[in-house]
Amino acid sequence: MKTSERIIEILLFLSAATAVMIVALIIIFLVKEGLSVLVKVGIIDFCLGMKWNPIAIAGEPSYGIFPMIVASFYVAIGSLIIAVPLGLACAVFLAEIAPSWARSILKHAIELLVGIPSVILGFVGLVLLVPFIRDHLGGWGFSILAGSIILAIMALPRIISISDDAIRSVPREYKEASLALGATHWHTIRKVILPSARSGIVAAVILAMATSIGETMAVLMVVGNTPLLPAPIYDILDPVRPMTSNIVLEMSYATGDHASALFATGIVLFVVVALLNVISHKALKSRMGTRR
Amino acid sequence: MSEIEIESRNLDLWYGSAQALKNITMAMPEKKVTAIIGPSGCGKSTFLRCINRMNDLVKDCRITGELLFEGTDVYGNSVDAVELRKKIGMVFQKPNPFPMSIYDNVAYGPRVHGLRNREELDRIVEESLKASALWNEVGDIPDRSAIDLSGGQQQRLCIARTLAVKPKVILFDEPCSALDPISTAKIEDLINTLKHDYTIVIVTHNMQQAARVSDHTAFFLLGELIEFGKTKQIFELPEKKSTEDYITGRFG
Repeated sequence: MKTSERIIEILLFLSAATAVMIVALIIIFLVKEGLSVLVKVGIIDFCLGMKWNPIAIAGEPSYGIFPMIVASFYVAIGSLIIAVPLGLACAVFLAEIAPSWARSILKHAIELLVGIPSVILGFVGLVLLVPFIRDHLGGWGFSILAGSIILAIMALPRIISISDDAIRSVPREYKEASLALGATHWHTIRKVILPSARSGIVAAVILAMATSIGETMAVLMVVGNTPLLPAPIYDILDPVRPMTSNIVLEMSYATGDHASALFATGIVLFVVVALLNVISHKALKSRMGTRR
Repeated sequence: MSEIEIESRNLDLWYGSAQALKNITMAMPEKKVTAIIGPSGCGKSTFLRCINRMNDLVKDCRITGELLFEGTDVYGNSVDAVELRKKIGMVFQKPNPFPMSIYDNVAYGPRVHGLRNREELDRIVEESLKASALWNEVGDIPDRSAIDLSGGQQQRLCIARTLAVKPKVILFDEPCSALDPISTAKIEDLINTLKHDYTIVIVTHNMQQAARVSDHTAFFLLGELIEFGKTKQIFELPEKKSTEDYITGRFG
């Protein structure tokens, strides 16, 4: 092989290796910084502890992030409850019903939605959504509901575009077979097209959940950030503090064990998001398997 | 001569600005097999898809002229394509069972049309699988995925699925082009049995197949109907030069 070829191959390999190295370094760094608190408090007490009081004036500080884990899942699942039906309906419309001009308008609108920086969405939420909830639904306004709505807006484009792809990759023959049997278009969508696209849609939903849990800025601005469980537990108008907010809010002044506890929060967050990503990839793979 | 079930009168069809069918006039009799032959791109599948209005799915597809089914123009304002397709079933070129169980595939049509009674469904599934000569092979494994069947079995399952809706007409769009000779023979036997109960229109590029299974044959070329008549006559005494050239294999 020519030397120039060889050099190019080595350069390409190095670029690929860099990505892996960066991930590895981040994991090592997170574990190194966060491990001391996890060992001191114990993983179980850290994850299931109810009290977050890192700077105790009197007595021992306590590092329990259970309310924040709950909060992260709460706002993420809340966002899915809003975004999945909407997104799926939009994807069905895009893939099956929209004429090409409507499709191109919608596609562009969705791309635009992806491009909105999260801080702007948060700002809009802060200025419009929070006062609206306060005035019309009660509570403080800063709430799980506000966080869920903002996250739903962010999750929509992802759910729509992956579901749209999944629906469009359903073989045309299935649709024709169903229509030729005298099924209506809607019946065909419900009984043949959506079930065939199911794994792709599931992947979209899980991926959306992973990004929702990891989202920081927009949520931080509207959820209120009190490190407590909502009371009563189902009160979606109560403020909460997701894991991401916890890290951002306190990292500027945290030292010692406190700083380590924030890194440990990061480890938990990382593990949750990684798990969701793995599940989502599994779902997509199984779709490939059945497409033969 | 039996009754005419389907009749096209001066049918023209355009995809955008390209004319795919030119002035097609022919009549397909009830409970007979009509074969449509012709080289690729001659419009034979397009014509077949006019009969159950599958061309409705194609954008920019424009049709003029009349296509009568039981005396009514299927493109008339009062005709619902969904209702029409219950009466005119279709079997496609590539076997296309749904990715569901064998049972659910056959029961799909009856369920679409509102049948929920389990015993009734069981009966229809059994009848349809028997009528498509598949019962002996899959009767004891109705819960197996249809995707696991062989190509020939899948195609017969698609026929069973069509029969379950109890249509009057079955359109076959090159049903054997993806199958091996043994599976093809089985499908042809099946067509010979089915013609006692159903009007059949079959598009095929296999001339021997047309000769074997059909009562009437239509020869299409470049969107035009060149010749239509009794199969025996078309194959033994074609009137037109191009028909003779095609069936003797001079082009195709």
